Amino acid sequence: MAQVVRTSKSSRTGRIAALVLGVLAGAAVPLAALGARAADGTLVWARDGDSDSLDPQRTTTTLSWEVFAQIYDSLLAFDESGKIGPHLAKSWVVSPDGKEVSLTLNGDITCHDGAPFTAEDVKYTIDRALDAKNPSITKASWGPITSVDVVNPETVSVKFSSPFGAFLSFMTDPMASMLCRGDAKLGDKFGVSAAIGTGPFKLVSWTKGDQIVLERNTAYKNFGLPAQNKSAPHIAKLVVKNITEAQSRLAGLKTGELQVAEPPLAEVTTIKDDKTLTLVTAKNTGQDNFFEFAVHRPPFNDARARKAIAYALDIDGALDIVYGGLVDRERCPVAHPVMDSEQDFCKSVGYDYDPEKAKALLAELGYGPDKPLDVVMLSWTGGDRDKLVQVFQNQLQQVGIHAKIEMMDIGTLNARVTQENEKTTGPGTFDLMGWAWFDPDILYALWHSPGAYKGYSTPELDALLEKSRTSADPTSRLGLVHDIEKILLQEAVMIPVYTPGWNWIYAVRAEVKGFKVGPFKRPMFNDVTF
Amino acid sequence: MSESFPVEELPAALAPLPPAAALRPGPVRRIGSFLLRNPGGVIGATIVLCLVLSAVLAPIIAPYDPLHMGAGRRLTPPSPAHPFGTDEFGRDLLSRVIYGSRLTLQIGLIAVSISLGTGLLVGLVGGYSGGWVERILMRGTDVLFSFTDTLIALAAVAVLGPSLTNAMIAVGIAAIPYYARVTYGVVLVEKSKPYFDAAVAAGAGHLRIIFVHLLPNVIPPLIVVASLGVSAAVLAAAGLSFLGLGAQPPSPEWGAMLASGRDYFTRASWIMTFPGLAIALSVLGFNLLGDALREALDPRQRRR
Amino acid sequence: MARYLLKRLLSAVVTIWVTTIAVVLLIHLVPGDPVKIMFAQSQSTTPEQLETVRHNLGLDRPIYEQYAIYMSRVLHGDFGHTIRGDQPILPLLLGRLPYTLALALSSLLVATVIGLGLGFLAAYKRGTALDSLCMVLAIGGVSVPVFWLGQILILVFAVRLSWFQVAGSDWRSLILPALTLGVTNAAVVARLTRSTMIDIFNQDYIRTAWAKGLPARTVLSRHALRAGLVPIVTILGLQFTYTMGGAVIVENVFSWNGIGRLAVQAIFQRDYPLIQGFILTFACLVALVSLAMDVLYAVLDPRIVHV
Repeated sequence: MAQVVRTSKSSRTGRIAALVLGVLAGAAVPLAALGARAADGTLVWARDGDSDSLDPQRTTTTLSWEVFAQIYDSLLAFDESGKIGPHLAKSWVVSPDGKEVSLTLNGDITCHDGAPFTAEDVKYTIDRALDAKNPSITKASWGPITSVDVVNPETVSVKFSSPFGAFLSFMTDPMASMLCRGDAKLGDKFGVSAAIGTGPFKLVSWTKGDQIVLERNTAYKNFGLPAQNKSAPHIAKLVVKNITEAQSRLAGLKTGELQVAEPPLAEVTTIKDDKTLTLVTAKNTGQDNFFEFAVHRPPFNDARARKAIAYALDIDGALDIVYGGLVDRERCPVAHPVMDSEQDFCKSVGYDYDPEKAKALLAELGYGPDKPLDVVMLSWTGGDRDKLVQVFQNQLQQVGIHAKIEMMDIGTLNARVTQENEKTTGPGTFDLMGWAWFDPDILYALWHSPGAYKGYSTPELDALLEKSRTSADPTSRLGLVHDIEKILLQEAVMIPVYTPGWNWIYAVRAEVKGFKVGPFKRPMFNDVTF
Repeated sequence: MSESFPVEELPAALAPLPPAAALRPGPVRRIGSFLLRNPGGVIGATIVLCLVLSAVLAPIIAPYDPLHMGAGRRLTPPSPAHPFGTDEFGRDLLSRVIYGSRLTLQIGLIAVSISLGTGLLVGLVGGYSGGWVERILMRGTDVLFSFTDTLIALAAVAVLGPSLTNAMIAVGIAAIPYYARVTYGVVLVEKSKPYFDAAVAAGAGHLRIIFVHLLPNVIPPLIVVASLGVSAAVLAAAGLSFLGLGAQPPSPEWGAMLASGRDYFTRASWIMTFPGLAIALSVLGFNLLGDALREALDPRQRRR
Repeated sequence: MARYLLKRLLSAVVTIWVTTIAVVLLIHLVPGDPVKIMFAQSQSTTPEQLETVRHNLGLDRPIYEQYAIYMSRVLHGDFGHTIRGDQPILPLLLGRLPYTLALALSSLLVATVIGLGLGFLAAYKRGTALDSLCMVLAIGGVSVPVFWLGQILILVFAVRLSWFQVAGSDWRSLILPALTLGVTNAAVVARLTRSTMIDIFNQDYIRTAWAKGLPARTVLSRHALRAGLVPIVTILGLQFTYTMGGAVIVENVFSWNGIGRLAVQAIFQRDYPLIQGFILTFACLVALVSLAMDVLYAVLDPRIVHV
């Protein structure tokens, strides 16, 4: 194989040295390009994923809008008790026919690029959201807006074709964040590497998949967020890191590299005993995790099959095994505290754990111990849902339902559910889905034909949903919502399971004070000091 | 992923056989007697045997149903009732590890079958045909080789979707070049020998030449590559399952068990430890066996 | 020399070319309508919008035209946009690439140092207990699943002992991942080095050197090591490819921000344009490095060009 190589010693040595140096240099160059360590006054917040975009009109994921809430402000905001209050807009007037909403802005608001924030920016934002060629992904939630007019620099008038009761609550949502006109000049960079808003933090940089670096907005004024600090945040920088491995986040918290992070759910009990860390749990998240079905083909086109699943699941038992008290049972299609969703009412019209009834229904449909029902159960990754569906699978097995599990990313799940609703052949599928909203209007988005996933819909349900949408009186609206929930629950169109479900627990280092999570899971860093 | 692959197989296969080759005992006898003298080989063979027995006898030797939640209380440490402890759902870990051996063996066999079958065919046809067929096939093999098997596995799972079957197929496809190259090398060596031209001149049919002359020489090095390939396939598939791209719950595949055991490491380290040990031990067994087989079957090494 | 380099360059170009074909075909291998799949996750695309995209991507034209469109875009540096978040793909990949390279190269360094040392030692002391010990370590290292090792290292050294960092993106957080990947690679390098060096030690001229009574240091360094350099460089060249593959797993275990982690996320999210871009980038990188190793190989041993 090898023979004597007759090259001179020095040139050989030279080549060896060059090789070694080359490898070292090669390793050093990328290392030098890597980010330096965070400096003092910087808070590092680690999450299990990254934002999709910094443009509030391009995505609806929780990970994305948590960041919108730092860079932008909304016109209105929820106060401590969950009531709608002023924020960028200091007051608003709804016309008697409900078709016009007029908002008056606070004065002296500055955008991150120094330009003043006026009614023109509000018009720009809403027009952009409703743009015919490239509408916002949440276009339907803005309502049937016909025009937006600038009455004067501090007042804007929004006109609707019909009354839209949910408009004001949507104005509190990060997805309805107010953009500054400077964003139009950013072109393709907007939402990708640059963003201009009025929020407590300015965007410095976004290294996709790694981290978003934000710095304090010294000109910030807090008009309506439920934080004690009414001006610029105390911390100089906020770094939002993407660390998908839960154990790595925990390790980072313990070494002090991270100050705020979502811990592995399985470790929450051990963290409670850890003196160096405190737990902050979001209350009133409005998150609802529920089962829904592909109803356009057998077996789930038959309500009995859906009810069989509802009877077969011991939800309380499963929640106890997997979460041990970290989550609450949710019985309503609209999660509490939204519109005081009443658990007792929903319990009375829904189905409880009763395996015998499940077996009886299956027998009616022709399934039994010799002929098990084969179905596919879909869900999305994270929040220990993979464990939860395994427990459910086991429970279904006991009554003779063979459920195959498929886990995927939430975006893929959304797409898959729609696909399954369009298919006419194949095993029955049902999915454990999650939606978070702060208003019963979510029912319209999900169940008014064609529905979010082209699933279940009936004319009766559509009529009720339309009425509830335009109803301005809270009492009659509540009655309509109850009627809608009754249909959804009795027909087992959906089976609510639990709340909250994702990104609701934060582990915070003990020396960090002032971190809180506002209503509907808005993480707030305005008061943070350490 | 496949770091354990025997890259040095190629030069070994190309080395000329010693002149006394025709007079030595057949490969089976050689393997047998060599293994007995080689402690590594004995250990490896024992481990592999245990794996096969565990897989075949799983329903008999496993104390519980591997999918039965509540076989014991959740997260109990190893005890006489549950020698490997229980997992977060109360499933008996020992039973899951035992049933997991079935999947491990399946992975190894299926992946290697795909690679071996295809690689053998490609190498034989390429080496035997010559001309542009040979150039295309072997150039194609080189290109496939330069996509690391990780890339091929990721691409295959991206197209086919995450499942254990797709992971097995992906791993199988990724390893084809190794088998193709070894086969090709042997075919080239045989073609250069005098008897080959003589056989062709005598009018021997293609099939006869392939089955009588080429295959017997191809098989010994392929056995070595295959046994090391099983361990590489098991590691690769376990890696994909660990990432969530392979076996789906509640399958007792060892890589997937490792992934779900991560969350409980501080409270219940046994959930991660035992499947990991199982993987390491199985892979070790096939590696030791493969090393011993190589020493037994490699004519060049016999000379030392 | 020039002919050899030209041949190797051609080989690399062919590999990359085949990759582009595979990448364009990829979207068609997925069962279903490619455009629908790509936009399945957008909740508000109309059929007209889908048709526009289909036309823009050339998916309504025959496959060879699609290939031409894709290639012309790629050669202009346009790898398209991701489905999730509409981010331009090439800058995204290039931004993450240095992290993967840092991981690959540092783990290669670890693997080289440990592996060469162990292998050389084992070959030199062949047949002794030291040889057996080294090889036991090596075969253990080859058999241990790299993700298991990585996970245990995180849990022991970062969570429990807090010796190392895991949550950053600077060199301090690179130590554990590089060690994990390096150790498993070192085992392979050790085994290959040992068998190579055993061959060399058995060569007649080495035996002659021993017989001449030359000091061990001279025999080992001047003759054996130099002769072994060429095959060892080959081994290391191959190790780079394996390392890139292993880096994908290690990046996911350690949340290290390289392209491997991006790839797995892309697969979970069925972000096909991103997956296509990743495959192309990865294959190009490996082809270029192989080419570089071939050049290095030729530089170190000019005789090889005549093989």
